[in-house]
Amino acid sequence: MLLVKTLTSSTFKLALIAIGTFGVIVSAIFSYVYLSTSAYMRVQADRAIMTEYASLQDAYERSGRDGLTALVRQRVADRSFADNVYLLADSSLAVLGGNIAAWPSQVTPSGGWIEFRSTEPSPGATDRPLLRAMVQTFPNGDRLLVGRDVSELDSFADQIETAVISVVVLIFVLAAVASVLVTRRTVGRIESINATSRAIMLSGLDKRIPLRGTNDEWDRVAENLNLMLDRIETLMGEVKQVSDNVAHDLRTPLTRMRGRLEKAYHGNRIAENDQSLIGDTIADLDAVLRIFSSITRIAQIETQARKVGFRTVNLVEIAGEVVELYDAAAEPAGTSLTVAGDSEVLVTGDRDLIFDAIANLVDNAIKHGRTGGRVVVASETVDGRPVISIADDGPGIPPDEYEHVFKRFYRLEHSRYTPGNGLGLSLVAAVARLHGARIEMLDNSPGLKLRLWFSGPAG
Amino acid sequence: MTGGHRRILVVEDDPETAGQIVESLTTSGYRVDLAATGNEALSRGLASDYAVITMDRMLPDIDGITVMRQLRDDGVAAPVLIISALGEVDDRVRGLRAGGDDYLVKPFSFVELLARVEALGRRSDTVAKETILRVGDLAIDLVSRTASRRGKDIFLFPREFQLLEYLVRNEGSVVSRAMLLQHVWDLHFDPSTNIIDVYVGRVRRKVDGQQAYPLIHTVRGIGYCLRAPR
Repeated sequence: MLLVKTLTSSTFKLALIAIGTFGVIVSAIFSYVYLSTSAYMRVQADRAIMTEYASLQDAYERSGRDGLTALVRQRVADRSFADNVYLLADSSLAVLGGNIAAWPSQVTPSGGWIEFRSTEPSPGATDRPLLRAMVQTFPNGDRLLVGRDVSELDSFADQIETAVISVVVLIFVLAAVASVLVTRRTVGRIESINATSRAIMLSGLDKRIPLRGTNDEWDRVAENLNLMLDRIETLMGEVKQVSDNVAHDLRTPLTRMRGRLEKAYHGNRIAENDQSLIGDTIADLDAVLRIFSSITRIAQIETQARKVGFRTVNLVEIAGEVVELYDAAAEPAGTSLTVAGDSEVLVTGDRDLIFDAIANLVDNAIKHGRTGGRVVVASETVDGRPVISIADDGPGIPPDEYEHVFKRFYRLEHSRYTPGNGLGLSLVAAVARLHGARIEMLDNSPGLKLRLWFSGPAG
Repeated sequence: MTGGHRRILVVEDDPETAGQIVESLTTSGYRVDLAATGNEALSRGLASDYAVITMDRMLPDIDGITVMRQLRDDGVAAPVLIISALGEVDDRVRGLRAGGDDYLVKPFSFVELLARVEALGRRSDTVAKETILRVGDLAIDLVSRTASRRGKDIFLFPREFQLLEYLVRNEGSVVSRAMLLQHVWDLHFDPSTNIIDVYVGRVRRKVDGQQAYPLIHTVRGIGYCLRAPR
C-alpha cells in the first residue's frame, strides 16, 4: 500500500525526472572520456609504429634490401621489440624476413594502415592477437609491413567501457533506491497527516497529527495544522456554547409568550387584559429580535466584510461622543464619567463599530462600577500605538475570569440578574479582532481597567 | 399637505406584509398604490407623482436598488424608504448611496414605518426656511442654537439641542429611537441598552421640568413625540 503510494507520489515522479536528467549527463561525460581515451591510445600506437617504420625505411635507403633484412632480423631477435611484428617480402610476396610466417591473406599488399588477426596465437594466449600495421612498397617492389599487437589496447578500451557502463548502472540503481527511500519518508509523513484528517472527518476534532520530534519542516507543518485544529475545536466549542445559550435565551421569552397567549386563547376576552397581554408580547418579541440581530451583527463583524468601510477616525472624538451620551446614564447612578488623555489619537477603523464597542464598555463600567464612583475613558498614544482605556472603581473581576468574559453570552454568576443579554463583550471582542486590536484587562485596584490596544497609527 | 402629496407607492412582494403596510398607511390617511414586482414599480413610479415610495430590496424580478436607480435616472424625485431583510448597516448604507433617502430593517413595527414615511413626506414638502421654530411656548433658535420656554432660556449641550431640534422639526409625529440615533448621532445600529431613553429623559427634564405642560411624550414601544397640548 505504502509502496504503491510511494511510486505514484509526485515526489517520486520528480525524483525520476531528476535521476533521468542526471543519468543522461553522466552517460554523456563518461562516453566522452571513453572515446577520447581510446582515440588517444590509438594515436600513440600509430605514432610508435610510424617511428619504427621510419627507422626501417632509413636502413633500407642507406644499405638497401640486405641492410634492411639484417635490421629486421636483429629487431625480431631483440626482446624489447617483442610486441612488434615485421614482415619483409619481395614483389611476389615471398617472405624475405620477419616474425610472420607468410604474407597474411587478408592484407592487400598495396599500402597504408591495416588491421588484421594474426594466423597463430600469441605465446601464452589462446586467441589470435589483433594486429595493427603499416604497409608500404619500396621502389624495387619489396614490401615492408611493420605493426604492433593492439589486443591489449583493445582490451583496455573494453575495460574502460565496462567500468563506465557499470558506474552508470550503479548510479541509476543508487539514485532509484535513494529516491524511493526519500519519497517513502515524505509519503509516510503526508500519509500520517492524511490519516489524521480522515480520522477527524470520521470521528471528531480530538485527533492530532503525531510529531516525530525531528524539528524539521514536517514537524512544523504538523504543529501548525495541530494549532489550527486547536483553534477550530475552540471555535466549535464556542459555537456549541453559543447555540446552547441562544436556545436558552430565546426559549425563555418564547415560552413566556406562548404561555401568555395560550392562557388568553382559552380564557375570556377582556379588552383591558388583552391590551396589556399584546403589549407585553410585543416587548418580549422585540427582546428576542434584539438578541437575534446582535448575534447576526457579531457574526457579520467576524466575517471581516466591514473592513472595506475603514477610514481614519479620532478615538478621542468617538470617546467624547460616547461619554456625552452615557453621561445621561451615569448621572442617575451618581457616577462621574469623564474623558482623559490626548486630544487626538487616530486609528483606521469603522466609527460605528468603535462607538458601539466603547459604548458597551462604558455601559458595563457604569453598571458594574460603584454607585457614586468614577469611570474614566482615556485615549492616548503609548509607544506609538493608539490605546483607549475604560476604568471603573467598582468591585472588578477576579483575574481568573478575565478570559471567559469575552465569550458570547458569558455572564458572571452575580450579574445574572442585571439586565443585558451577555453579548456586549462578545461584540467588543469581535470589533477588536476586526481592527487587529488587543484587549488587555488590568486590576484598577479597586475596579477593572480595560484597555484596547490598536495595532498602529492611522495611515 | 395636499391630497396629491399624501399618495404613497408601496413596493413589496410578500402579499401579507404588503396588505399590512397598505392597511396601516391607509388608516393614517394616505392613498396607497401597491406594486408587487420591480417592473410594476417602474411603471407606476413613472406614471404618478408620489409623496414617498417604500421599496423592498428583494423583489422577484429586479432588485429594489436597481428599480430605485432606474426611477432616479428617469427623473422621479420622490423620497424612497428602503425596506430590507438583509440587515446590517453595510447593506443599508449601500441602499442610501444608491439614492435611497432612508431605510428600515425587517422586521419593523408599523408605527416605525409610519414615523419614517411621515418624516420623509414632510421633507419633500418643507419649503419654509425659518430660523426660529416654535411649538407651544417652546422656541428654538437655529442660528444661535438656543432654546427657551416662555422666554426663559434652557441650558442644553450641543447634542441635546440637536435632539430637541429633530423632535421639533417632526412636531406631532412619532420619532423612533432608531431615527434619533440615525439623525442625531449618525449611528447606524441599535445599541442593546436603553441609553437613548435615558438621554431623552435628561433632555426632557431640562425642557419640561417645572413647566405648565409637557412637550415631549413617550410613545410606548417605539419612541417619542413632541407636541403642544391641543
